[in-house]
Amino acid sequence: MKLDWWVVWQHRDALVEGTLVTVALTMVTMLIAVPGGIMLAVMRLGRSRPLALASASFVEFFRNLPLILVVYWAYYVMPILLGVQLDAFTTGLAALALNVSAYNAETFRAGIASVRKGQTEAALALGMSRWQALREVVLPQAARRVLPVLASTWVSLFKDTSLVSVIAVGDLAYNAMRVRSQTFRVLEMLTAMAVIYWGLGYPQAKLVDWLHRRFGVRE
Amino acid sequence: MEFDFSPLVDSWQYLAGGLLLTLALSLLTVLGSLALGTAVGLARCYGPRWSRPALAFYVDSMRSVPVLVVLVWMYFAFPLLTSVTLPPFWAAAVALTLHIAAYVAEIVRAGMVSVREGQMRAALAIGMSRRQAVAEIILPQAIVRMLPALGSVLSITIKDTAIAAVIAVPEYMKRSETVAGQSYHPIEVFTVAAIVYFLILFPVTRIVDLIYGRVAHLGRS
Amino acid sequence: MTRIPPTGSPAQAGPDLVLQYRGVRKVFGDFVALDGVSTQVRRGEVVCLIGPSGSGKSTLLRCTNGLEKPDGGEILFDGAPLPSDEAAMRPVRRRMGMVFQSFELFPHKTALENIAVGPRIVLGFEERKTRELGEALLAKVGLSDKAASYPANLSGGQQQRVAIARALAMEPEVMLFDEPTSALDPETIGEVLNVMKALAEEGMTMVVVTHEMSFARRVADRVVVFEKGRIIEEGPPEEIFERPKVDRTGEFLSHIGWSA
Repeated sequence: MKLDWWVVWQHRDALVEGTLVTVALTMVTMLIAVPGGIMLAVMRLGRSRPLALASASFVEFFRNLPLILVVYWAYYVMPILLGVQLDAFTTGLAALALNVSAYNAETFRAGIASVRKGQTEAALALGMSRWQALREVVLPQAARRVLPVLASTWVSLFKDTSLVSVIAVGDLAYNAMRVRSQTFRVLEMLTAMAVIYWGLGYPQAKLVDWLHRRFGVRE
Repeated sequence: MEFDFSPLVDSWQYLAGGLLLTLALSLLTVLGSLALGTAVGLARCYGPRWSRPALAFYVDSMRSVPVLVVLVWMYFAFPLLTSVTLPPFWAAAVALTLHIAAYVAEIVRAGMVSVREGQMRAALAIGMSRRQAVAEIILPQAIVRMLPALGSVLSITIKDTAIAAVIAVPEYMKRSETVAGQSYHPIEVFTVAAIVYFLILFPVTRIVDLIYGRVAHLGRS
Repeated sequence: MTRIPPTGSPAQAGPDLVLQYRGVRKVFGDFVALDGVSTQVRRGEVVCLIGPSGSGKSTLLRCTNGLEKPDGGEILFDGAPLPSDEAAMRPVRRRMGMVFQSFELFPHKTALENIAVGPRIVLGFEERKTRELGEALLAKVGLSDKAASYPANLSGGQQQRVAIARALAMEPEVMLFDEPTSALDPETIGEVLNVMKALAEEGMTMVVVTHEMSFARRVADRVVVFEKGRIIEEGPPEEIFERPKVDRTGEFLSHIGWSA
C-alpha cells in the first residue's frame, strides 16, 4: 500500500481552519458555561426551593445524556422550538454549553460547599448581602478547589467538540474527514487528524496534571 | 404543535434491538477496560520500571484524543494498516476499551497512591511481604476510594457507545437516527431516546452513590 | 468592675435599652435550645452569658444578629423588632458587631484587608479612608506591624484581635462575642481579654458568651446564667459569683472550679 502524506500538507488550510473552529468552540462554550455553572450552583445552594429543584433537575438531566444525542436533539428540535433556523455552529455551541454548564454546576457546588459556613456568617455579620459574601469571601476561596476541575473539564470539552462534526460544523474532525472523503487518502488523513488532536491535547492534559498537583486539596 | 409517536411504535422492535446492542457493547467495554485498565494501573505502581514510560504514554495519549477520533481510526484506518478488518461492533468495542482503559488505569493508580504510606509501613512492620500488604491492606482500601470514579466509568461508557453511531454500529443511537430520518419525526424519536438514556444512566449513578455511602468508612485511614 | 450603670429601672423602654429579649424560643428539630428567654441589655452595659455547654447562650447571641431565626417570642433592637426579612436585616447587622469563636478571618485577605472589607463593601467608603480606618484599628488592638500579614501567619490571639478590629470597623452600637477565647491557647487568651476590657472601659455595649469567669467577675456589669435553654439567674457579678441565689448556679460554678 502506498501512502501519500503530501495530501495532508496540501490540505493544511482545511486542517488549520478546522483547528481554529475547534479552539473557538471550546473557548466560547467555556465563556458561557462558567457563569452558567456558577449561576446553577448558587441556585442549587440558595434558599429558594423551586430554584434549587430546577437547578438540580437541569444538572441531573444533562449529566445523564450522551452528548451526541444532545447535539442531534439541538439540531432537529431547536429550530422548531425557537421558530428560528440557527446555523450549525450556534446549534453545536448551544448543545455544548448546556452540557458543560451542568458539569460546571456540580464543580462549583462542591467548591462553594467546601468553604466553611462560618466564613459566610462572618461576612453576613458585617452587614454584607448574600451576593456580596459570595463574591468577596466564598468564591475566591472556592476558586482554589474549583480550578483544577475546571481545567479537566476544559480538556474534556476540547475533545467533545469533535462531536459537532456530526451536524456538519467545520471543526477539525469534520474537515479532516471531509478531505478524507474527497481524496480517498483514509489512513493519512485520519492519522493526521489523530496526531493534531494529540498534539493539542497532550500538553493540555499535562497542564491539568500540574494544576491538580499545585492546587489540589488532599482528602 | 402536533406530536406523532407512531413511528416509534412501529419500529419499537428495531429500536429495542438497538438498545440491546448498546447494553451489550457497554458491558463488553466495561469488562474489557476494567481488566486492561487495572492491569495497566497496577503495572504503573508496582510493575517493572522500564514499562512505566510506555504505559504513561498510552494513558496520557488516550486522555488527549477524542473518542470519536479513536473510533473512526480503528474502523477505517486500522484495516489499512494491518489488513485486519473489524466489523463495526468489534471495532467499536476495541476502540472504546482502549480509550476507557486509560481512564481506569488512572483511577487505579491514583487510588493506590492515595492510601497512606503509613499503611504500607505498618503492614511491612507486622511482617507481611509487599505482595501480601498490597493484596490485604492497600488494595481493599484503594478499591473503596475508587468506587465513585469507577461508577462514573460505567456511566461514561454507556454515553460513549452512542458515539459508535458514527461508524454505523447499529446500537440505539444509530437506530434512533435512522428512524428519525425515515419518519421525519425527529423530535419524538430523539426525545424518547433522551428519556431512555436518562432512565438507564440515572440509576447507575445513584446506585454507585449508594454503595459508596455504605462502604466509604472502610476506605478512610 | 466599678462603673456606674445608667440609672432608671431596667424595665423602662426607649433608647436606653439597646436589646430586649421577650420570651425567645428556638428549637432545632426535637431539641429545645431556647425555652422562653427574657432579659435586656442597656446602653454601655457589659453583659456576660454563662452556663453549661448547650444551654442556649450562643443560640441567643446568634438570634440577636439574625444568623438564627427565633421560633417564638421577639427581640427588639433599639426599641424596634428585628425584621424577619433577610434584606431588611442587613442594615441592622451593620449596627452590631460579632466576634466568633473560630475567628473566621478571611484567609485570602491580609489583616488590613480583613478590617477594611466591611467599610469598603458595605459602607462604600473609598480606598484611602478604609486604609486609614484599618490602620487606626490595628493600632488600637496592638497589631500595627501585622497589617500586611495573612491570617495563616498570625497566632490565634492575633487573629482574634484582628477579628475584633474588623467588627469595630463598622462602628457598631453593640458588640456580640461568641466564646471569643475558647479556641485560644492559654498564653494568648490574656491579650484578647485585655482588648475586650479596654473596649468595655470606653463604654461599648457588649454581650459576651464566655467561660472565662474571672473576666466576667471583673468586667461585667451583669451576669446572666443559662441552663437548658432558660435563664436561671441574673444579676451583678458580685452576687452571682459570691452569693448565688439559685443552687444550680452554685453547682455550675463549683463544677467548673470557680472559687470565690
